[in-house]
Amino acid sequence: MRFFSPLRLLTAATLLAIPLSAMAGGDSTLTLNDPAGDDNGPGSYKYPTAPVYTKGSFDLRKLEIIDKGDKVEFRVTVGTRIEDPWNSKDWDGNGFSVQFAQIYIDTDHEAGKGFTGALPGLGSLKWSNDEAWDKVVLISPQGRAKLSAELRKAGAMKAAAVIPTVTRAQGSTLIATVKKSDLGSTPLNKWGVNVALQSNEGFPLSTDLLTRPVNETGGEHRFGGGADGDCDPQVIDILAGNGKGDASEAGDQHKALAYKCGSQVAHMPMIYPGQ
Amino acid sequence: MTKTLRHRLRATALLGLLSATFAHAAWADLAKFEVDGRIYTKHLYQNDDSQGILTLGNPFWPDKVSGHNGVGTEFELTFRGKVSDSVEAGARVASRFGQRWQDWWESGASDFPAENTSGDSAGVNRAALLQLRGTYIQLNTRVPGLDWFRVGASDFSMFNPWTIGKVRYIDRDNGRGYFASGHFGKDDEFQYHVGFIAMPKLFVGPGWSTGLGDPNLGGNAFWSRDWAYAAAVRWQPREETTVRWVADFTQDLEVDKADPDAVGSTNPTCLDQLGQPIPGCIINHAVDMLSRYSSWNSTVDIDHTFLDNWRVQGLIALSGQRIDPTLAGNGVALNQGVFPLVYKDADAFAGTLRLTANDPWEVGLSLQAEYFNIGQDYNAIFGARRESDVLLTDGLVGGGGQLPTLNLANEFIDFDDEWVESCIGWHGGTGLATWEKDETRVRAEYTYIDYNQNKQNRNVDSIYPTFLHSEGFTDTSVYDYANTLDRGRDPRSVFKRDQLRHTQIAMTNVRQRWPDAHGLELDAKLKYVSDVDYRRTNGVGALGDDYDGNIFIARAKLSMPLWDGVKVGLLGQIDHWDEQHRTGTAELGYGNDVTDKQTAAFQTQIYWQGVKISYYLEYVHKFQDRERQPDQLWNIVRSKATIEAAW
Repeated sequence: MRFFSPLRLLTAATLLAIPLSAMAGGDSTLTLNDPAGDDNGPGSYKYPTAPVYTKGSFDLRKLEIIDKGDKVEFRVTVGTRIEDPWNSKDWDGNGFSVQFAQIYIDTDHEAGKGFTGALPGLGSLKWSNDEAWDKVVLISPQGRAKLSAELRKAGAMKAAAVIPTVTRAQGSTLIATVKKSDLGSTPLNKWGVNVALQSNEGFPLSTDLLTRPVNETGGEHRFGGGADGDCDPQVIDILAGNGKGDASEAGDQHKALAYKCGSQVAHMPMIYPGQ
Repeated sequence: MTKTLRHRLRATALLGLLSATFAHAAWADLAKFEVDGRIYTKHLYQNDDSQGILTLGNPFWPDKVSGHNGVGTEFELTFRGKVSDSVEAGARVASRFGQRWQDWWESGASDFPAENTSGDSAGVNRAALLQLRGTYIQLNTRVPGLDWFRVGASDFSMFNPWTIGKVRYIDRDNGRGYFASGHFGKDDEFQYHVGFIAMPKLFVGPGWSTGLGDPNLGGNAFWSRDWAYAAAVRWQPREETTVRWVADFTQDLEVDKADPDAVGSTNPTCLDQLGQPIPGCIINHAVDMLSRYSSWNSTVDIDHTFLDNWRVQGLIALSGQRIDPTLAGNGVALNQGVFPLVYKDADAFAGTLRLTANDPWEVGLSLQAEYFNIGQDYNAIFGARRESDVLLTDGLVGGGGQLPTLNLANEFIDFDDEWVESCIGWHGGTGLATWEKDETRVRAEYTYIDYNQNKQNRNVDSIYPTFLHSEGFTDTSVYDYANTLDRGRDPRSVFKRDQLRHTQIAMTNVRQRWPDAHGLELDAKLKYVSDVDYRRTNGVGALGDDYDGNIFIARAKLSMPLWDGVKVGLLGQIDHWDEQHRTGTAELGYGNDVTDKQTAAFQTQIYWQGVKISYYLEYVHKFQDRERQPDQLWNIVRSKATIEAAW
């Protein structure tokens, strides 16, 4: 048979060969969970109406932090399979389109050190003074070049922002690998962490860092149920309570993110699993 | 500072005056809108003598903008307005693309047959006039079961590539219609979309039209009542399971010329040649319509995840079409086989089944397998034309993906854009293994394709379109529509008179990053395609006509960020195509051709203060050693530079 010539089969087999060695595991993992169905910020937020924002896209379910020696792997799991409806490879992206997760880390748990406000684009969101964050890991579909350029909007916070060396999506999980040296030397079990889950906006407002606004009235590509100004916390889901994933933690989130324009600013709680 | 300060124009003062006039003071608080602006400039240069700013434009109607030497700019404004608590409206105005900077004298007043220096010579594209696009009003209702109702533009992304495809980006909001969406059922487990879509008079139908230019209509085409109807229902009974049904129906209506009320009627008086009344013929000032062409596609797909990291995706698709041959000219016979559908009533099935094991052993190894079987008469005439991909395989042409339509759009692209290919009639399977660990990713694919079109003595004279060029591996990098440069098979050419074809594809792709080496990244790909077509299996020429293509492609790209916002890359590619019996005829025999091609490129992307700059410089050396025709040599140097500001 000409079609199944030995040369062709050999060539195909050679090309198919992949290295199966050097697969190892055994890393320590910190896992924090979040209940399903609380992807509504303070309780009132609605998804944009365009079909790409599928149910569960911003429903944070789990944060895993894996110590891998000189690297740290962050895994953020959401409530649905992560798709790439905007073909991120066409814009030098990372294989997904819609989500944008910011992982805030308090490495020292010392009052007076770190930042108590969020990166631009998350609206009014404050950290307690003793829970101020020191590093933020950006899990964005945007390529490094664009992300680093957009960080000019962050002012002094830019130095605290960490762009992962690798960012990708797998199933319903966003995965980012960060050099441990970029996060400081504090042991992971001393950290306080939380996740601000937002949506990637490739054409953001000039003051926003690639985030999608939350307005009073939702739209095709705008979250609804918030306020038209910046007085609302523009995050869709965060970790709350003890990060166990109990249903009651949805209430904890709503309470933390509650706001009143002009009088009450939403609060971003940090979770210190090792303390 | 509010988040809307930059783009949102709060028209309080103006609307205060309006409120005094119309006594609607509340409008002042509600009337606001966002405005996004974008300016995009492209430089396209090549060492040839063509003039234009688009590598491949419209192959049928000369568009006067295609060519390789020029600079052009386009500008757009996008408006999104909040009318009230429940109403959003928007629009986009964008300039027509095609104006070279040297055209700055053009007013667009006229379009003369020959260019001249009057300043009124070259039409609206060269004047870059703004065009209204993307208008919509969306009502976000509080009606149970109806989330929103939209009048106007949509990119149709709520449907799928097998039915009504998402419109390509450059036309993303040109399509218009009426759309509605809602949820119902326990925990809103059902979501639906319906659409009534104005069919484009270009591309959905015989001869890429809904009647215009059809010789059978004698210049009396009617397209204002041509609509497509679509529906999608998504059922998610459990978090890990999704079932979706999507369907569409297109209807191209034409005037019944036997109706005495129709313009150009064959019976204007309802009397025959002898002066006798024609039975059933009544003048009533109402015009009857006939269906020139109708089509339908329907899919059911299931997506289920089990055991945490196993996923199965299955799709069954149905396609059908009906043609009235008295109203639709036979482009297969009259247009040399360049026609976007088979010229007959047809029904067909298609199906795909994909199994994914997503790192089941937690060692970084993921496996995917896909079976596909797409009927030879399947055709998603209103399906996705590019920028979608329905199969797992890297495919033959690679890059842009595979789509189940003859209506592919490999035009309005530049030399560095990806190509799509038709997978109509493909029957086979793909296996794909992916191993990822730290900064290393290795992918390996094997695909076997049989073809449902394999048949002898197929009627390609009047039923099955061949798109003129069916032989040879497609060279997308030096493609010309007329094939004067022997660029190989048209990606839409899925039918041949005599075919017995099988294809194997083996591909491996390695991506390695070195974070400690300033983020250096290597992306290397090896691909082998064995494409065998025994062509005519008996009769004249059958013993010496077997096509045997062995395609080797090796490609590597090194890239790294230099500074914040600056990324550079170097790319090299080597092609060796050994094609036995590539071109010729069964009667005269076929020649053996060998193609060698080397490509080297440099590229950079710069993001700075809201501006994106990209530059791509490429050198292509190609030598085609042809047995029965003169050899051909290419030495191409070409570049593309863009600068884009969006605010």
